[in-house]
Amino acid sequence: MDAFLKVDYLKKSFKNVEVLKGVSFEVYKGEIMAILGPNGAGKSTTIRNIMGIMYPDEGSITFQGHTEIPRNKIGYLPEERGLYKNVKVMDILLYLAELKNYPIKKAKERALTYLKKFGLEGKENSSVEELSKGMGQKVQFIASILHEPEFLILDEPFSGLDPVSQELFKEEIRNLAKGGTAILLSSHQMNLVEEMCDRLFLIHRGQKVIYGSMDNVKKEYANFKCTIRGKNNLEILHGLPEVQRVEQQEETSILYLTKDVNVASWLKHLPEQLEINELSIDRISLHEIFIDIATDKNMLREEVAIDA
Amino acid sequence: MRNAMKVAKWEVKRNLRNKSFLIGLFLTPVLFLAFMFLGSIFGGSEPEEEVSTRVLISDELGVTDVIEETVAAHDLNWELETTEIGYEEILEVLKEAENTAYIVFEQEGFENGVVPVHTSEEISPYFMNQVQVLEVPLKTLQMKKLGLTEEQLAAFSKQLTFEEKLIDETEETAEEESNLVGTDPLERIIPGAFAGIILLSIIFSGMYIFQSASQEKKDKVAEIVLSSLTAAELMQGKIIGYFILGMIQAVVFLGFGIPIALWKLDIPIFDYLVGPEILLYVLIAILGYLLFAALFVGVGATMADMSSAGNFQGMVMMLPFLPFVFIGPVISDPSGLIAQIGTYIPFTAPGVLLLRLTFLEEWPWIEIVISLVILIVSIWLFMKLAGKIFKTGILMYGKNATPKEIWKWIRS
Repeated sequence: MDAFLKVDYLKKSFKNVEVLKGVSFEVYKGEIMAILGPNGAGKSTTIRNIMGIMYPDEGSITFQGHTEIPRNKIGYLPEERGLYKNVKVMDILLYLAELKNYPIKKAKERALTYLKKFGLEGKENSSVEELSKGMGQKVQFIASILHEPEFLILDEPFSGLDPVSQELFKEEIRNLAKGGTAILLSSHQMNLVEEMCDRLFLIHRGQKVIYGSMDNVKKEYANFKCTIRGKNNLEILHGLPEVQRVEQQEETSILYLTKDVNVASWLKHLPEQLEINELSIDRISLHEIFIDIATDKNMLREEVAIDA
Repeated sequence: MRNAMKVAKWEVKRNLRNKSFLIGLFLTPVLFLAFMFLGSIFGGSEPEEEVSTRVLISDELGVTDVIEETVAAHDLNWELETTEIGYEEILEVLKEAENTAYIVFEQEGFENGVVPVHTSEEISPYFMNQVQVLEVPLKTLQMKKLGLTEEQLAAFSKQLTFEEKLIDETEETAEEESNLVGTDPLERIIPGAFAGIILLSIIFSGMYIFQSASQEKKDKVAEIVLSSLTAAELMQGKIIGYFILGMIQAVVFLGFGIPIALWKLDIPIFDYLVGPEILLYVLIAILGYLLFAALFVGVGATMADMSSAGNFQGMVMMLPFLPFVFIGPVISDPSGLIAQIGTYIPFTAPGVLLLRLTFLEEWPWIEIVISLVILIVSIWLFMKLAGKIFKTGILMYGKNATPKEIWKWIRS
């Protein structure tokens, strides 16, 4: 696959605090790549460096091999975003398209199509002030894709959206990727990321924690876990085969299983003295991996160590 | 530069479609002119209330024609009426009447040099002053009757004046004289006022830049826009855009001002405006704009909110009004020390320079050049600094930058 963006060993410090400690990743054409991390991990800083709003202290950023930012080919929906008040929706869309050197006539047509698609038909002549927060966000999203960008950066595109609008955004983002757009998406909604993204980059304290395709990450890190409700002795649980770790809270025990466990046979061999009121087996979600890292629980580190 | 022009176009278009800007655009000159002409409106209303004075003349000397001419020439609000009615009866009439006067021109009074004037109880307070204008023509008439020739008359009626001449300052007095007498002061004042209006308009629009830069932060559009162009282009675009808006403001201002001035002042303004001076005046005004625009766009970018401006930002906002401090001293002595100091401080230079050039006959070219150089260097410097501040400030959300932080951005 063709890499549109290549970030190589990016370093950036603010006031002697190193915010990015050598971040490297790529974004390919036609893929949705997620950049994840807790607040303050360095996501927005990375994105701002990519956009040329800030300059890295070290490292390089190249777009299809060039260091110069092809601004007209990039669409950007920043986390801190808004629109000029007291201007018409269509006016601001056309202005932002004009800044990208996109033909006005085509922009107008596309704007009307998208407004219709997002349920904002007839709003083109309304003032931005009159829009609700969600509507404003839709307009910002349209603005970021109106000029048919080859590379799209979406920083928290779903925050503050209702589920219906979330679906709309999701579908549109998928369509764009299908059309060959390289997409870098940052979000805290792990379920959405898990659903949509092809690859992910997890950053914590300015460093890479996980980087790879969603499938691989799941295979690597999202082991099975077994949740049992019932009064059970911690030692018995520890003694079970293929159990890496046990978390017990009152009557609920979560057993983290090893990577190569065969779930069916493992279930068969559960001892009869266990009190089981409820039992469920599922994979560790991206959400849990994320929380684990963000709260420094070291579970993953252990696993990484095991893998290594 | 192309991107900067796009931003400029957008700022102009956006503001021209904004109701509050449009209202301000027209209201400012209206209010300004209204205050300027408030005095003359009140002044002008007095003659309307004033009923014309009825002046009865008993003419034994045949001076009616001369008096009528004089009254017409001085535009006196008199209703002249010759009367044959006897002295006693007239006095009775005067007792009843208002705004009526009775002047008796008879041989006896003429010889004594006293012309009796009787007035009704209520009469215009200016009437007795007005009557004095009759003195010269009557005197002339009197002398003519005495048989003087035209030449003798001319010599006689020439008044003696005492002219003050100081010995050691002869040259300067001569210069000042030529200042007052030699040329028409309007020749300078009108282009000066013209440039003043331009300067004022663009300083106002400089304030809009301020608002625009901080609004950009408040609306959080900056980051979206900055994905398409550089911070420097955005800043330049804003400066150009608001310059155009300032010119529009100036045109509107003059569109109101010139017709009113033509109507009220009865001066051929256009004749005075067309001259080489106007170019220098406009240049000074534009330089002044660029200086304040750089200042405002930079400071505006450090503020999250107009209403929460800190002391530092507030002080910067007051800078354009600094020249007002100099108005008094400069007018009283346009080439004095204070005027010169004002010329060399970048923030006051445009205002003080315009004021001085308006009042000075001989332009101090060396001072003008030094002042312009100082201005241009400061503009260059402030543009640089503003660029740095703008780049960092525009992306800092939620709080105002402290002077310490700004200093750090400048140094980085």
